Amino acid sequence: MENKTSHKENFLKGIISENPLFVSILGTCPALATTRSLESAIGMGILFTIVLISSNLLISLLRKIIPEEVKTPAYIVVIATFVTIVGMLTNAYLPELYDTLGVYISLIVVNCIVLGRAEAYASKNKPLDSLIDALGMGVGYSLSIMLMGLVREILGTGMITFGDIFTFIPRFSIPLLAYVNSAGIPVYDYSIGLFTQPAGAFIVFAIILAILAFKKNRKEENEKATQLLLKKKKKEEEAKLKEMEGANK
Amino acid sequence: MEYLVAFLLGIINAMLVQNTILSKFLGICPFLGVSKKPESSVGMGFAVLFVITLSTVICWPIYQYVLVPAGIPFMDTIVFILVIASLVQICGLFIKKFSPSLYKSLGIYLPLITTNCAVLGTVQLNNSLTFLNSVGNALGTSFGFMLVIFVFSCIRVRLDNSNVPKAFKGLPIALITAAIMALAFVGLVFNFVN
Amino acid sequence: MKWVYLTIAIVLIIVLVAIFFITYYLNKKTPIPKGCEDKLINKENCSSCKNYECDLNGIKNKEEKEDK
Repeated sequence: MENKTSHKENFLKGIISENPLFVSILGTCPALATTRSLESAIGMGILFTIVLISSNLLISLLRKIIPEEVKTPAYIVVIATFVTIVGMLTNAYLPELYDTLGVYISLIVVNCIVLGRAEAYASKNKPLDSLIDALGMGVGYSLSIMLMGLVREILGTGMITFGDIFTFIPRFSIPLLAYVNSAGIPVYDYSIGLFTQPAGAFIVFAIILAILAFKKNRKEENEKATQLLLKKKKKEEEAKLKEMEGANK
Repeated sequence: MEYLVAFLLGIINAMLVQNTILSKFLGICPFLGVSKKPESSVGMGFAVLFVITLSTVICWPIYQYVLVPAGIPFMDTIVFILVIASLVQICGLFIKKFSPSLYKSLGIYLPLITTNCAVLGTVQLNNSLTFLNSVGNALGTSFGFMLVIFVFSCIRVRLDNSNVPKAFKGLPIALITAAIMALAFVGLVFNFVN
Repeated sequence: MKWVYLTIAIVLIIVLVAIFFITYYLNKKTPIPKGCEDKLINKENCSSCKNYECDLNGIKNKEEKEDK
């Protein structure tokens, strides 16, 4: 039973408390570059998760074989191999995704998260634990870049479009920031084109981080306030006790 | 003469119009991490210049004369990362052994470069160019990197002393600054094209 | 003719892996020059990526352990 909860915690820590993008600020390059649309963010997240899981699993299996002195080079070779495999498969089966992500697929090799998890977790833990850790981290990262992609696409184009990159589903779009004019044509006047440009990526990322920092600050302030209250109460109680003792004497 | 013009245009294009950091989003980690002091940003910039140029000179012939004839151009990622990583290690080794003064100013940033996406990204984007153009692209990219990271670090020094909302302190306000810089560079693109 | 290139490519990759491993090992063994120890990137200068590959990160971790 105890083991089960620990697995769950291990999975959830990658999504919430140790979120690689929003808490550790790792892997910012693809997070800013591939979030122009929700769809490319989903694609990037999936590829990233696959590389992270497979490399973590293999490194964890080999952790007793790889000598301590040349740990990092071995990890880099393993990760680069998996990235090459994933890139080739993407090119073969989802060429649109491959063209959209372009050089960022091979840049998963130099993503600090993959190497960081290999070094910090997979090299010390059992395969199953590393697998769950990698899954949590991958899902956490994917969710965070999907959030950024969602915000950027809605604000930038006024709608969400599917089917441009994943061509196996029919192309359709959901208008969100549109109104229908007198001629019956939807107009996207409320969209801000800036958000599909590089500057928009920085702004969205900054605002998400600021919201998180705001929440954290408020939580800390609340904790401080409650602690102060507790201290006050304790002092009052002590004073009362002393009074009682004095009265008794 | 034509070659020279193409070379110089390549440098300007990679430096200002398609800036590594602000329009291609390569090398954001050092851009945010090593930009707290102007001196360290300059050191990082020179280290990037050195490694990008050297690795382009080595990787381009390997790609064109070995990987393409052998029919395995998709192996470029693994070959390039190996070349870059070994180059970084060799440079670090030589600098440590023979020039402590250089190590002081440049060597300490070398280990950060293996996982710098700007290097691998630039080398990979050079695949479709000619040799001269790819060297120009490498030089321009690293000059652009240096320019942006230096300007950004100078702004950050001022930001430390300014009064920003508490939630925006630190990274968020730095990112907003980067966004405004990116806007400036977008303006440059339109001027250049028209 | 293609298999010649293929052999060259495979040999090249193996050689590169070997070079990488050897230089990494040698670089790790070489001590930092005198007078530069204090110049290393510390938390104040580099918060970039918690880069585990980075040698400096190892030094950073050691310092943290000693502090504890």
